[in-house]
Amino acid sequence: LTPSLLQHNKRNSAELSLRSLLDMGFTEYQAEQLYDSVSRMKGGNAAKHVLSTLSVLFVLGLNPTTVHKLLDKCPELYTVKDVQLQQRITQLRHLGLVEGSLQRTVSHYPKILTVPMKSVKSVVQFLREKCLFTTQQVAEILRDSPAVVLEDLDQLEYKFQYVYFRMGVKQAEMVKCRLFRFSLDNVRCRHTFLERRGLYQTPDKKGQTTIINPKLDGILNVDEGTFTADVAQASPEEYDVFQKLLAREWKEEEFEHGSGVIR
Amino acid sequence: GKWAATHPKQPPTRMALQHFDATYSAQLGALWPSIRVALLSERKYGALLNHFSHNLDVEELQAQGCKDFISNGEGKLHTASKRKLHDNLLLRSAPSPLRLSPNIRCLVFPRGDITRFRPARPDKFGLLSYYLLDAASILPCLALDVQESHTVLDLCAAPGGKALVLLQTQSVRFLCANDLSVSRTSRLKRVLQSYVPKALLTDDKLRITSFDGTIWGEIERNAFDRVLVDVPCTTDRHSLMEDDNNIFSRSRVGERRSLPQLQAELLLAGILATCPGGDVLYSTCTLSANQNQAVVQQAVQLAEEQHGIQLQVISLCPLAQMFSNTFHFAPNLHLGEMVIPHLAANFGPIYLCKLRRLT
Ligand SMILES: C[S@@+](CC[C@H](N)C(=O)[O-])C[C@H]1O[C@@H](n2cnc3c(N)ncnc32)[C@H](O)[C@@H]1O
Repeated sequence: LTPSLLQHNKRNSAELSLRSLLDMGFTEYQAEQLYDSVSRMKGGNAAKHVLSTLSVLFVLGLNPTTVHKLLDKCPELYTVKDVQLQQRITQLRHLGLVEGSLQRTVSHYPKILTVPMKSVKSVVQFLREKCLFTTQQVAEILRDSPAVVLEDLDQLEYKFQYVYFRMGVKQAEMVKCRLFRFSLDNVRCRHTFLERRGLYQTPDKKGQTTIINPKLDGILNVDEGTFTADVAQASPEEYDVFQKLLAREWKEEEFEHGSGVIR
Repeated sequence: GKWAATHPKQPPTRMALQHFDATYSAQLGALWPSIRVALLSERKYGALLNHFSHNLDVEELQAQGCKDFISNGEGKLHTASKRKLHDNLLLRSAPSPLRLSPNIRCLVFPRGDITRFRPARPDKFGLLSYYLLDAASILPCLALDVQESHTVLDLCAAPGGKALVLLQTQSVRFLCANDLSVSRTSRLKRVLQSYVPKALLTDDKLRITSFDGTIWGEIERNAFDRVLVDVPCTTDRHSLMEDDNNIFSRSRVGERRSLPQLQAELLLAGILATCPGGDVLYSTCTLSANQNQAVVQQAVQLAEEQHGIQLQVISLCPLAQMFSNTFHFAPNLHLGEMVIPHLAANFGPIYLCKLRRLT
């Protein structure tokens, strides 16, 4: 059996071969890499449907280089059947991810296509019903912070409530500054630091504060050095020690209240 | 204020914070945010080593990275601050104002290290190996500069942290430890008994009383070489963190407002109890200028006007410089020195001011 014959056989049975990958437009290097990773996958089932899975991604409008990168980032995608993949893409379209942003989201966070529709649905329902985000806002959240679909709902609820009630920030601003990209601990730590320095106040019932709070965007979407120096007007040493102290406070609170992070 | 009236259910800790925000942001300016976050976060302790205990814990603590900040501070004298210190000495042309008892040792974890001390253990005689306190509260005792065979009055002594530091010097010939509160003086007794051998707590060496310190002048005047007046105050840290027994609770508004008056009376009584030539040390654990500098000024004035007593303020600047690697001191205080809390060195607040009776 010559190598070319072997490849020919595989191609005939619609299984993966280097040839088929090259035919789809991958470069030789990309094709070899893809071929290798699929062969290495356990179970051996992936090889059977991987070509059709790939075509779904092509139909979505992604080019071979993007597809290659995306599979490199998220090899779990090999194991997703083409039908499921297609359904998940359709679901995202229905949720308001329009052409262009759908492709960008998928290439940036391919993992979103490995999440069952049911999970996505419950996160979306949670964002709409518990947090009262509009349909449009939910679409923006999925677009900008697709990782929400994998977050624990309790954590997500706590994060929302923390920012809504403790920080007095409304939904529109949360969406604008891509709140859900940040971990709860990160948000709480920066906010608590500002609050204890007297630079952030929880608004009263009328939404009023005696000082002007910094914007959520300016708190979250800056690197730690900028946050410490410009927003908190503190030294790096102070924020460093503060993070250690706060982590210990949280640990002890959790211990006292059982699980969960209630404050 | 108006805010309090419209929000009757504010807990005392919140009232304290509002009060401090209003007064300290004006008094301390740009320093306030940094002090505020330190006050609202976990404080640091120091372990006052018990000279009288067969101490097995010290090595363990040192292995953990603890250092005696007092001998450490002396080390610093050989570096840059030495020159500054010299300038100061020349300016005042006084003999070395820094005679520090070699017997007082206090271990602290390094700057930025948040490790906690575990509780001290008793040695085979039942004496505890160390006493945990705010390391900055050692400073008033160091500044008091107790010398061999001195008689010392501790006017507001309970629960006894500073009295214990003073006894560690082993220089005190006679210590009178007083506190208005009877229950707190019994606590002081228990503290001393847990740290000091019985032989050193006999009646000829120690007297514990429960008088109102403000009338001490009527009991005993011109009697002590050294007097420590560590007054009741708004205890800023406690008031921000604990709702129990909080001086910012509504029922204690009157008491709180009259603190500066009480403090000045106590300091004046302390001045009267000092013998001419002797030293008085005033200290608090608040940042409030009204309870610190203003009280000292008032007492000095009263001593002069009512009793014809001349006092000299003794600069504690050399002390502050010596320990500037352990504590943050408030800059440009016109009277006394103040340790201000900082996250990396979360001690204080401790205010101290030293007065010498000239007449
Ligand atoms: C800051 S504490 C003293 C702490 C003590 N020096 C130490 O280092 O452990 C103030 C003390 O003053 C006492 N005190 C309050 N009013 C007093 C008065 N009129 N005369 C004497 N002591 C008084 C309180 O009972 C309290 O124990």
